[in-house]
Amino acid sequence: MAVIEVEHLRFGYTQTSILTDLSFSVNEGAFCAIAGPNGAGKTTLVRLLAGLLKPAGGTIRLNGEKLSSYAPKSLARQIAVVCQEYVPVFDFTVLEMVMMVRLNRRDFVLFEDESDRHIVAEALEQTEIVHLAGRKLNELSGGERQRVFIARALAQKTPILLLDEPTNHLDMKHQIRIFDLLKKLQTEQQKTILAVTHDINMACQYCDHAMLLAGGEMAWGNPSEVFAVERLKCVFEVDGFQGSFRSKPFFIPLSGRKKDTAGRE
Amino acid sequence: MNPVLTPKKLMFRIAVAAGILLLLMFLCSLIGSKTIHLGVVLQGPRLESGQANVDYEIYMHVRIPQIFLAAIVGAALACAGVVLQAILRNPLADPYLLGISSGAGLGTMLAVVVAGVSWSFWGISSITLSAFVCALATVWVVWLLGGGGRRGGMSGLLLAGVVVNAFLSAVIMFLNSIAQAGQIQTTIFWLMGNITALENYGLLWISGGIVTAGVLILLRLSVSLNLLSLSPEEARTAGVNVKWVYQGCFAISALITAVAVSLSGLVGFVGLIVPHAVRLFIGPDHRQLIPLSALAGAGFVVLADAVSRTVVAPAVMPVGVVTALAGGPFFLFLLVRRGGKLYTER
Repeated sequence: MAVIEVEHLRFGYTQTSILTDLSFSVNEGAFCAIAGPNGAGKTTLVRLLAGLLKPAGGTIRLNGEKLSSYAPKSLARQIAVVCQEYVPVFDFTVLEMVMMVRLNRRDFVLFEDESDRHIVAEALEQTEIVHLAGRKLNELSGGERQRVFIARALAQKTPILLLDEPTNHLDMKHQIRIFDLLKKLQTEQQKTILAVTHDINMACQYCDHAMLLAGGEMAWGNPSEVFAVERLKCVFEVDGFQGSFRSKPFFIPLSGRKKDTAGRE
Repeated sequence: MNPVLTPKKLMFRIAVAAGILLLLMFLCSLIGSKTIHLGVVLQGPRLESGQANVDYEIYMHVRIPQIFLAAIVGAALACAGVVLQAILRNPLADPYLLGISSGAGLGTMLAVVVAGVSWSFWGISSITLSAFVCALATVWVVWLLGGGGRRGGMSGLLLAGVVVNAFLSAVIMFLNSIAQAGQIQTTIFWLMGNITALENYGLLWISGGIVTAGVLILLRLSVSLNLLSLSPEEARTAGVNVKWVYQGCFAISALITAVAVSLSGLVGFVGLIVPHAVRLFIGPDHRQLIPLSALAGAGFVVLADAVSRTVVAPAVMPVGVVTALAGGPFFLFLLVRRGGKLYTER
């Protein structure tokens, strides 16, 4: 069943539009990667799906109902968002940061209960930041902060997760761990996951759907088809080599400088 | 896993702070240009000899209302400071930033210089009324000019506040330059922040009630404020109705600040340093910060008021001078102790 349906979506911050006429639908329990060059509108798409921006045209439906008809609180029970990492002004601890999202779920509640504590503890464990619980967010490295933001989204316990470059700032080990975790959430809890990523290879390994955004348009479908070598070379303007490992494609970008300079000279 | 904040812990901290505040208020009520004996006060309005009890009169009609007014003003300013720092996500924000101070100042000048005659309505002086109305009108103008906090873009609001403040300050200076000497004395004292005994107990109850209700509503919004103080977008995705909370917080802080300012003039520094000092002790959680800052702000102004009554007795120093003289160095002390930065730079 399709949980997210997008029809003829258009958006632009100024006169020039960033997204022109996007249509796609995401089924329940799908794990989708959104890739594309810088400025292609990946973050914009995430913000539109999260209800942070209003479309200039077209519709977004969530569970069959218009996204704009959801009140903030009921939307927050459906979709959790991991925005790009930032440093907060005030010195909250990691535990306070994660607990915060639980408290806002109910009306007229100032304090956490036992189940909130349980859910937060689980989110900290899943993202491997239990040992950081008492630390201030400002003292952490970029990668640690990123995992705190993912823990916040998990603590929201939503059926849908939207992640804007969740493995940004993470080393290889933690990149794999985060994608393993997302895969686990998908298979064990049937969560629907949309993740913006620059890592085409990670997308091919883990995701069952992929979107390549460029110039306001998109390619959508199976990762190995969407990330075809000729398309990647054209969209990212790089030379590269595509291979296959365990029947999943991988792509290695290669220096195209030689050819380029030769062409110009 | 350790709980983040239990009701018991919060209630205990509030009770301790309230206890300290009450003790402070009691001690300060005994200080003043005239020495008062508590034993004599307790004898009631008439002495055994049948004479009027002067100590009782002073205590009940000067000291007590003055101390309660000081507490109300301090609580309102500190609480508004906490909330504005959170919604503007700017640790340098202060309740006077958004034009409230200059609006109220203009109101006072208009009442004193332009209207000339002094009148009162239901025991409320023309200065208080005019300051209150002009303060709220100015905040409203700043809100409209600043785009009403559209999309959490708060820089427009800050900029509008700064410009309106500067413009109205010029108008105040102009009115001062054409005023008579006697009028200037009144307005200068007001601009420096001046808590005087309020003969009108009814007004004291109303303003106390407004400030208490404001603090309680803000406490109810504290969970949303925690999320908002991080990032409006994250708050939205966590389910906060950002626009509604912004408007509510802004309106309530403007209202309680206007109440404080119209009763006491511009008592400076309270709204800036009390939130910082409290945050230093208990962290940035607004569920604690709002009630405890209100109580700490009340205590700070009660203390400053006691100092202002005694230091140059029998004359009275404006309380705003005391808060600035004490608050400035204290703020610098905090800054120096933390190596020149109170918060992580963005």
